[in-house]
Amino acid sequence: MKPFANEPILELRRAPVRAQLAGALEAFDAQGVIDVPVWIGEDARYGDALLSTDPGEPSRVVARAAVAGAGDVDAALALAAGSSWGRRSAEERGAVLVRAAAWLRERRLALAALEVREAAKPWREADADVCEAIDFLEYYARAAIALAEHPAGVPGTAAELLQPPGERNELRWVPRGVVAVISPWNFPIAIPLGMVGAGLATGNAVVLKPAEQAPGCALALVRALREAGVPPDALALLPGEGDVGARLVADPRVHTIAFTGSGPVGLEIVQRAAVPAPGQRHVKRVVAEMGGKNCVIVDADADLDDVVPALVKSAFNYAGQKCSAAARVLAHEAIHDALVARLAGAIEVLQVGQASDPEIDVPPVIERSAQERVARYTATAEAAGRIVARAGDVPSRGWFATPALATDLPADSPVLADEIFGPLLAVERVASVPEACDRVDASPFALTGGLFSRSPRTIEYVADRSPVGNLYVNREITGAMVGRQPFGGNRLSGTGTKAGGPGYVLQFVEPRVVTENTVRHGLVV
Amino acid sequence: MVDESALERELFEVGRQMAAALPTTRNPLKVLDDKAMDLASSDAELKAALFRFVDVVPACRNLDDLARHLTAFLEEVGEPPPSVGVAMRMGNTKAGRRALGMAAAAGVRHMAHRFIVGERPDAALGVLRDLWKDGVASTVDLLGEATVTQAEAQRYADRCADALDTIAGAAAAWPPREQLERDSAGPLARANLSVKVSALTPLLRADAPERGKRDAADRLRPLLRRAAERGAHLHIDMESMDSRDAVLELVLSLLAEDEFREAPSAGLVLQAYLRDSPATLDTILAWGAERAQPLTIRLVKGAYWDHELVQAAQHGWSAPVFERKADTDANFERLTRRLLDARPAVRVAIASHNLRSVAHAIAYNRLTGGADADLELQVLRGLGDPLQAAIAAQGLRVRTYCPVGDLVAGMAYLVRRLLENTSNESFLYEQARGVALDELLAAPR
Repeated sequence: MKPFANEPILELRRAPVRAQLAGALEAFDAQGVIDVPVWIGEDARYGDALLSTDPGEPSRVVARAAVAGAGDVDAALALAAGSSWGRRSAEERGAVLVRAAAWLRERRLALAALEVREAAKPWREADADVCEAIDFLEYYARAAIALAEHPAGVPGTAAELLQPPGERNELRWVPRGVVAVISPWNFPIAIPLGMVGAGLATGNAVVLKPAEQAPGCALALVRALREAGVPPDALALLPGEGDVGARLVADPRVHTIAFTGSGPVGLEIVQRAAVPAPGQRHVKRVVAEMGGKNCVIVDADADLDDVVPALVKSAFNYAGQKCSAAARVLAHEAIHDALVARLAGAIEVLQVGQASDPEIDVPPVIERSAQERVARYTATAEAAGRIVARAGDVPSRGWFATPALATDLPADSPVLADEIFGPLLAVERVASVPEACDRVDASPFALTGGLFSRSPRTIEYVADRSPVGNLYVNREITGAMVGRQPFGGNRLSGTGTKAGGPGYVLQFVEPRVVTENTVRHGLVV
Repeated sequence: MVDESALERELFEVGRQMAAALPTTRNPLKVLDDKAMDLASSDAELKAALFRFVDVVPACRNLDDLARHLTAFLEEVGEPPPSVGVAMRMGNTKAGRRALGMAAAAGVRHMAHRFIVGERPDAALGVLRDLWKDGVASTVDLLGEATVTQAEAQRYADRCADALDTIAGAAAAWPPREQLERDSAGPLARANLSVKVSALTPLLRADAPERGKRDAADRLRPLLRRAAERGAHLHIDMESMDSRDAVLELVLSLLAEDEFREAPSAGLVLQAYLRDSPATLDTILAWGAERAQPLTIRLVKGAYWDHELVQAAQHGWSAPVFERKADTDANFERLTRRLLDARPAVRVAIASHNLRSVAHAIAYNRLTGGADADLELQVLRGLGDPLQAAIAAQGLRVRTYCPVGDLVAGMAYLVRRLLENTSNESFLYEQARGVALDELLAAPR
């Protein structure tokens, strides 16, 4: 296989590339509503218990899905437990994943259009999500092959096992067993496919419970894998709501749970998974990526020409609905007022509108409850502090939330503590970078963070003190790339695993060491 | 078709005359800052440290802060030369840092003053008049922070309008300079302003250009009107590839509007480092709007080369620019010929500090029967000063690009100029190194 390289995003700055978008959306709309089955083995059962709609036009139904019941969960796990997928070689499995990547690549615009409609992802972000999905497949396929070829680390490195005379030490990695994937809607193809892909690449059968907001995207990725050659018993699709996930988590046939979503749900999964079910003979492993309350420190020597666009991007792209999005700016008092003034002006010109319109900056949020949540926190911010800027012209139909900038909040404001997951950014004044680091350190979250400084000493100081999983210096804090910024948080933001990084596949395998004595009659044979 | 060997002979002849007319005393890099630039050019780490320092100077709050930044950058230099060691030791005490900060601030100010002619247009008038008296025309560029708000866009537009008034008002009293004021197409404006579209709107998005174009048009139209009233020339600069198409489309559509048919004189920039620049020139030449005055095309190599390469590499795109400097130089010559051949539909301004590129334009123009007056040469203030003098001494029309703005606003410009001109491949660097004239004049390969 060629060395891994990121799938290039569309060069949308070129007009001929942009010109393809409208046609892709038209073609998508012409297909009509997507039917998403409960898909277990060869059996696809259709239904309409679950509807996904366009957040910008809630009367438009994008997908209708059957919902998995207790019997479906049971059937899917029974089939998965008996799958022989793990007995194929890593190369064979990797080839299947790479074929799935090619399937996605051939349908890039169609898949992006699906995300535009079902999750209100703006084109640029939708395209980036499809590219990331491709990257995950290509990356984990190679990672699993590398693990099979060099199970004890790269020869000649410290990671390799020592082999004294008369002793043969061998490390091998075997699939842990059935993986249950519970995925979110905000990266509706890449995140589920990343978790599913890592599980499959390492030889496990996988059962996917996708977000109820995006079943259409989930079907697309399951089709990609099935059509590329993943056997029916190795991958099941179980659309539904929280109860489906809860059944999977509790079932003794599940070995690994890969979850990306909210903190409360993640912690509940960790707790439930720790209790063995009757007959269970293993400890479940939970890979959880949860929330964040991400801070960006802006030091006095920062270049505000760079800071303002990067903050706007980090906080408002995809309406702030990224776990990595910026929520708090900790601005040095020397530049605080200038930064707030410029940031306010930049937020006021943000264009809020339909994700399908390439000219917009901020799309709607995912659903009514999200819209209400953002409005509630904005009201809280206004009551206890100030809203210094709002974007104008927010459409009245659809789940639109108004991008806003809050300042002068009391230190104990929930606006500064809770993950809002919407387009509300708060700026706080700090007297120094150490004070900013103290505030970051006080947070229970540690997902992403940012720093703007032109002093190498400050950069080293903040890097040393930041608990976050991903610290971005002098750039936006979103947009982690597979193989470049392995992504994942610490503290209550996650279990410390790094999606798109070199060690991620290890979460899905268990090690076995075989030591053979090769001395017979005093001779090494 | 021009006889290539005759052209090369003429080119060398022009180049030698030009070289002989260069003032012997000062190479712009030598005066830049004593040894600093020599050192910087030869040591990549030191160069990075110095540029990062220059970049942060306006954001430093006091001398102590300045010195702390300087020593922090210098700490990262692996094998520091002795002068750096001295600076580092000064950084250890408060008094030392104060002295170091003062010296460094003075150094940067000194450097900035070579490139930036004044903080405001009225403060630049003396320099502009002196240039004019010496037979050198000018175009003024207002430096500024990036535009991220509507207020900033409006402030920039207001500064541009004020600059047009100020310069046109003062230029009326300048003495006549025939070679600067007329070509075969007619009179040339004395007042000349270069503007940046990205500064006229906070809405310009690389992948969604329409809103930004509309917003910029609302500020560019009044500027075109003002330039027309004042009899000034308005030149629209090009920036990075992200805005190239938007700027081109915006300018061509505005200038085709009936209101601007008679005036003002206006211009665009063509960047020869872009692989698709020949197609851009096709677009410009096929434009066909009927205007009283031909569009002036300033041919440059392009100032965002590193940016374009980095951006393309990070996104997995093919580079929009030539990766080999010689390819850019060769393209520059091809575009020069096409532009000169396209007259009188366009006016041609060749902007380069490369003696070969300049001599090529002059020689080609002469060999194909063009008048010297129908070719303008352009240089940058601070870097092209000797070349500017040599061109003026030949009786050719030269226009100097004169940035105006304060130190804070000017720093991004300054860093870009320093970076591009201490590059080992830059013409000025080779010239400073004493590369033989025949080698400097050799065809790009």
